[in-house]
Amino acid sequence: MAKIVIAERGAAIDPLKLSQPLGAALVFLGLAGSLPIMHGSQGCASFAKALLTRHFNEPIPLQTTAISEVTAVVGSGEAMVATLDAIRKKQRPDVIGLLTTGVTEVSGEDVGGQLRSYLAAWAEADTDSARPDGAPDTTTASAPLIIGVSTPDFVGGLTDGWSAALEALIRAVIPAPTTARGPADGATALVAASTPAALSRSAGTARAIPATEPAATAAQVTTAVPASPLTRQARTASVTRPAGSAGEDGDLIAILAGPGLTAADLDELAGLVRAFGLVPVLVPDLSGSLDGHLAPAWQPTTTGGTTLAELRSLRDARAVLVAGAAATTAGELLAARTGAPLFDHPHLTGLTEMDALVSELMVVSGRTAPREVRRARERLADGLLDAHFVLGGVRVAIAAEPDLLVAAGSLLHDAGAEIVTAMAPTSEPVLADAPWAEVVVGDLDEFAERAAAAGAELVLGSSHTREVAHRIGAAFLPLGFPIFDRLGAALASTAGYAGSLRLLLDAANRVLDHGPGGHTSDGRSTTDLTRQPGATADPDELDDLFQESPC
Amino acid sequence: MSAADRAALFTETSCDTNTTKSEKQRKAGCPKPKPGGTSGGCTFDGAMITLVPIVDSAHIVHGPIACAGNSWDGRGSLSSGPTLYRRGFTTDMTENDVVLGGEQRLFDTILDVVERFAPPAVFVYTTCVTAMIGDDLDAVCTAATAQTGVPVIPVDAPGFVGNKNLGNKIAGQALLDHVIGTVEPADVGRFDVNLIGEYNIAGELWDVLPLLGRLGIRVRACISGDARYHDVAAAHRAKASMVVCSRALLGLARGLDERYDIPWFEGSFYGTRAMGDTLRGFARLLGDDELTRRTEELIAAEEAATEKALAPYRERLAGRRAVLYTGGVKSWSIVSALQDLGIEVVGSGITKSSDGDVEKIRELLGDAKMIKEGSPRELLRVAAETGADILVAGGRNQYTAIKGRLPFLDINQERHIPYAGYTGMVEFARRLDMAISSPVWEQVRRPAPWDAPAPALADLAGVA
Repeated sequence: MAKIVIAERGAAIDPLKLSQPLGAALVFLGLAGSLPIMHGSQGCASFAKALLTRHFNEPIPLQTTAISEVTAVVGSGEAMVATLDAIRKKQRPDVIGLLTTGVTEVSGEDVGGQLRSYLAAWAEADTDSARPDGAPDTTTASAPLIIGVSTPDFVGGLTDGWSAALEALIRAVIPAPTTARGPADGATALVAASTPAALSRSAGTARAIPATEPAATAAQVTTAVPASPLTRQARTASVTRPAGSAGEDGDLIAILAGPGLTAADLDELAGLVRAFGLVPVLVPDLSGSLDGHLAPAWQPTTTGGTTLAELRSLRDARAVLVAGAAATTAGELLAARTGAPLFDHPHLTGLTEMDALVSELMVVSGRTAPREVRRARERLADGLLDAHFVLGGVRVAIAAEPDLLVAAGSLLHDAGAEIVTAMAPTSEPVLADAPWAEVVVGDLDEFAERAAAAGAELVLGSSHTREVAHRIGAAFLPLGFPIFDRLGAALASTAGYAGSLRLLLDAANRVLDHGPGGHTSDGRSTTDLTRQPGATADPDELDDLFQESPC
Repeated sequence: MSAADRAALFTETSCDTNTTKSEKQRKAGCPKPKPGGTSGGCTFDGAMITLVPIVDSAHIVHGPIACAGNSWDGRGSLSSGPTLYRRGFTTDMTENDVVLGGEQRLFDTILDVVERFAPPAVFVYTTCVTAMIGDDLDAVCTAATAQTGVPVIPVDAPGFVGNKNLGNKIAGQALLDHVIGTVEPADVGRFDVNLIGEYNIAGELWDVLPLLGRLGIRVRACISGDARYHDVAAAHRAKASMVVCSRALLGLARGLDERYDIPWFEGSFYGTRAMGDTLRGFARLLGDDELTRRTEELIAAEEAATEKALAPYRERLAGRRAVLYTGGVKSWSIVSALQDLGIEVVGSGITKSSDGDVEKIRELLGDAKMIKEGSPRELLRVAAETGADILVAGGRNQYTAIKGRLPFLDINQERHIPYAGYTGMVEFARRLDMAISSPVWEQVRRPAPWDAPAPALADLAGVA
């Protein structure tokens, strides 16, 4: 149980915090055929895009509504409409995330209302064009699922944006059970997608998602339009399960991921679930889009990630697995709406959390753990033993988003390291679960000061913290976001049995690479014991005591 | 900055393109961003690009976390000394500040930063949010200057007023209004010059300074690359200015001319020809016969050496085809640099070029080869159709190219390789050659085993 300390705010120097819209954009970048839009000045998107590009070394589909000083004051609705129209026509994504920013939130405009009217007008237009001969409307083939999320820059940070976007996504694709029973049932129609063609057509029907529900938080903007006639058409021709969902293959496990998990982590997690004969659906799935892969051809939207069909299949989830505290609210919502049991993990790093997950998977699947899972656990257990010689007592400073901070910190703590400085950009409930004394919410300047004062020997954090490690003469292990001074950030590991082991060994090796600790170059001990006279024996006596026995 | 003041920035009497514009065109200013069809930075970004390379100063962003948090320490401008410019200072406006106003927080932040880091000056940047809630930037900066005794310079360039170019202009105006002329240097020299619009990307400036040094020319202020505040503040005592590759800062050069009688010229450090013209430009403005003579000597020696170094690359690059997509002066100066190397430019984007630049491209290439749409899809299409060997463009198109398995060379400000000066020209040729002839292309263009025709088992096993 950690105490959460909010650093006193003077100037923010070397911020650790990243903006809400950036976190929300990451969720949409983990969906297939997706294009997030930042509803703000062009700089809002271009800074985020530049940062994401530097981290992932990948092209980042991200657009802007290019708000000007005039539209900011007289109303940003027109710019939003123009943007959505342009993108539906040109990039033709399957999913659009419309993310507000500081500039579109500060004026207090009703962005949600504007989006609802846009979607309503659009549904009407579709109806008109679909009616005359009753033939399916071809324009709806490019009709994307549009989800608006409220993510003001001046509230919260990356993790909050991630949580808000994920929750909005679940709210949009899995209708509340009450309305699902209603006559204008859009939900049944949504699973009518069995072929890619039918799928993209039914993308339009996603607009049939019921407007709001009492539980909707203020953070939601929505996608919400009454069911169009097309929706009902689709339902009559319905096939019960979408392609790639459960059914013949096994029970579907919905995995709602937090921002701490890398592509490599998601791969391992999905593999673990499959090893139990279950079918994982990762939401979002950055391992499909931003893992660094050479696709057959260039495209203006994401080149992989969770598909719409997979999103809709979530309603059949046998269990909801939350992998990261930032996904908890979305997980609770999905569990409530599907009636599936919820397995809530603040993170999946280290033996404890992974053992808990494997127990759950054993129960859900009715199978025992397969050989490779057992082997991976044996390796992690052995690695913990090997690493504890190196990491035991090592003073560690970590700066990261809350989930990852607790994840990586717990793992090192498990191996006997001492977490002397833990810095998070924003305060989240998960921080209280950290198994060490204190977590500070602040900036990297504060982090550097505290880490130096605590004599940190190993620093973990983004590329921005490399400088901190250098300044205080500590070893450095890149962790989190952004990592812009080395390659392969998406394929670094932090979770799972194997991924935890990799992180642990990397940390231990950085300490070893950094040179033998404990002594300065002139041979003095760095451990500054304040000896009290008489408290310990004099050196001479000790020499006698430890003298090798003559026999 | 009022809208009227900003409009004044769009009347640029020194710019031939601008003077040929109608009153209406001029009033329109920089191209308005297009919703859903825009990429590139905002005005705030442009102001930061111009001023942050004043490396010993503190740069404070007054706004919510997105503006500084997503951008600090993200620029390729290098310093030979102080690193304060790389620190991220921001007021990190929260909801309370938005409601109650952020002036007090800004004031406290400035005081805090001055006390801790003792910078020679502080630059404060507004953002969209702080502009909208009406924080009085000028008043806070004046009060902070009075309180600390350190110059605190307001830069009123919120992102939503336009594009990056406008930010460059506003930054230039801020220097004229608040900085230049505030310090009298003790060491005024006959051959002191200013560079305007040189950002020392990848340390390029350091390939140029030795050349100038050999002529006895000293750079008083580089605005802004590896710059020190007091040098910029003393820029009014220079004897000539050069505007480097950025017409957005012509206003600053003209301002220096009007206020302090400093003559200026436009030049470029890219390419052999441009470099010669630049050196001659300095000699001409500094008006010294001896300098002119030495300049010609230097150019002759450097060109001969460069020719020799380029010879092997010329051979290897002859007949190669390139698609170019960049903006401004570079959209034609790089065309001629590529042509000098024997490379055929089969297409050049014009969407980021001014009318004058487009005219020059037309002279060099003809109409047919001008690419009128800058989308990644279009660039790849042109490259495929023309059988291009390489795309030479800005970092934003790097992934467009490599995802299309097309060799790529970064020519814009995000790059890490210096191309300025004579050594830079040789480096440019070397990098072009390396990009085109890298063994990696053969690797990634090969089909995957499952896409290739299946070989017979006998072939695989090596059985006769």
